[in-house]
Amino acid sequence: IGMTIAYAASFLGLILAYRAWHG
Amino acid sequence: MTVTFTFLDWLWVVLFLLLMLGSGILFYRLGKRSESDFFLAGRGLPWWLPASSVYATHTATDTPMWITGVIYKNGMAGIWYTFFCGWAAISAFVSTRIFRRSLAYTQAEWNVVRFTGLGSELLRGWMAGWQFFMNMFVLGWVGIAMGRICEYLFAWPIWIGLIVFSLVCAVYVLAAGYWGVVMADFQQGIIAFLVIIIVSVWGIHTAGGPNGIIEKLEILGELDRMNPFAFTGWWSGDFPIAWFITMMLIAFLGGFGMGTTIDWYVEAQRIQSAKTVRDASYSIWWGTILGLIRNSVWAVAILAFFVLFPNITEPSEYEMGWFRLGFDYLPAGMLGFFFAAILAIHLSTISSHLNLGALYATRDLYQHYVNPQASQKRLVQVGRISTGILLLGSFFYGLIMEDITSWLIFALWIMAAGIWLPNILQVIWWRFNAWGYLSSWIANLGFSWLVVWILPELNVIPNLLDYQQFWILMILGALVYFPVTLLTKSEPMDHLVHYYVMSRPIGWWKPVREEAMRRGLILTNGDTASGAEQASRPLDTYPSI
Repeated sequence: IGMTIAYAASFLGLILAYRAWHG
Repeated sequence: MTVTFTFLDWLWVVLFLLLMLGSGILFYRLGKRSESDFFLAGRGLPWWLPASSVYATHTATDTPMWITGVIYKNGMAGIWYTFFCGWAAISAFVSTRIFRRSLAYTQAEWNVVRFTGLGSELLRGWMAGWQFFMNMFVLGWVGIAMGRICEYLFAWPIWIGLIVFSLVCAVYVLAAGYWGVVMADFQQGIIAFLVIIIVSVWGIHTAGGPNGIIEKLEILGELDRMNPFAFTGWWSGDFPIAWFITMMLIAFLGGFGMGTTIDWYVEAQRIQSAKTVRDASYSIWWGTILGLIRNSVWAVAILAFFVLFPNITEPSEYEMGWFRLGFDYLPAGMLGFFFAAILAIHLSTISSHLNLGALYATRDLYQHYVNPQASQKRLVQVGRISTGILLLGSFFYGLIMEDITSWLIFALWIMAAGIWLPNILQVIWWRFNAWGYLSSWIANLGFSWLVVWILPELNVIPNLLDYQQFWILMILGALVYFPVTLLTKSEPMDHLVHYYVMSRPIGWWKPVREEAMRRGLILTNGDTASGAEQASRPLDTYPSI
């Protein structure tokens, strides 16, 4: 459970960055 | 043991808590003005305020426990475990200055200042998510340490110490943001420093003073504990020379990078809250030197504790040694004052991590990726909501902490090994790019699992010592990110020139510096031309917050 929260937070950040993403 | 408090003792504690809540209410109006106020105190602080915050934040309730643990077990040689923070002595005049000039709110944001393109955005999102969680579990870690202290002193259930004091702290962090944090840290830092000196000197005096301690060590046949260089050979034992050399490397070269220890992420917020580059330098240098002085005073006090109680074998018992010096030997009426100081030590750490975790959620995740047009009022609101989420998450982590300690230590320290060198390269080498840095994070995630857990479990490799893991992870990571860096394009020269003009990094930046000079942005005497920062800004339509 502890690890799932940790990696979920990191991958959520990664997904948000990719979704938001020609200058 | 349980401690009995008199009316005077509780009076100290209540007065102290009222003082802390007062600072939150006093700075409420300043904290809610804008995102910059809620998280950086408007970048207007003189050096001594963030310096006291650096010191107070890194003095947590678990700090005297683990320092007591390494000194009681190893004697004076154990003090080198605490020396990793020596990186700040170098950083204050190197990476601290570069980071302050970049104007990035967080280390996550710095990725899009130093790099550009999709790789830099992925780095920012990944790091912001990772740091949001990291602050949550640091809060759980120090929260449960407070729970243990209250259980030890008053026989309270462990959740009371974890939850009650963090809730008090949350009041002024929610009200005034970083203004509340830094003003309370200043008071807490002074109280904590004074009480650490008083209790330690009191303990040393009880053990017969320095001469008495040396005599007793001689009688015990433990005089070797006075020697900070009591090595156990080159490679093995509790204190090998190879471990010492690795620690010195981390301490001295780490200051050329950003993120080379987990303390950097806390320092980064203090650096950006200082009003000038010089104030930022002084704040990191002075905040850290106070911590090193604190460690050396503690070390002598623990030797005093050792000669008073030399036969404790259970770590959880001797780790409480410094607290016992205070509660066993201080005169009545002073116990409440000592407990108020322990609260000061505790709240200063809790408040900083609550505000810092909320900064990543608000600035990097919400504002940059979800709602770039958010009003200042809305951003402060999101800051408060994410502070609340962090607080609740930290209670959960605190309550399961006993069960996840070995994984946590892995995540905190070993995870840092493989990205230690990339964290330096990103500052000193112009050619290092976003894809190289991102690949080092991903490679380290895989390699650290393999080297620390999976391969030893399968008996492919033996269980290695911590310094051996550090070197192996550093080499394995380099085999991935060097080829990735050299096989992908460097960052665009326009972007690098703007970064160079703005941050003025040191190291291998010759091609970028020459280009900046050719464009007239850097003068022949090395100064930045006036208006160069604006003139060099690349045409970039991506939201620049």
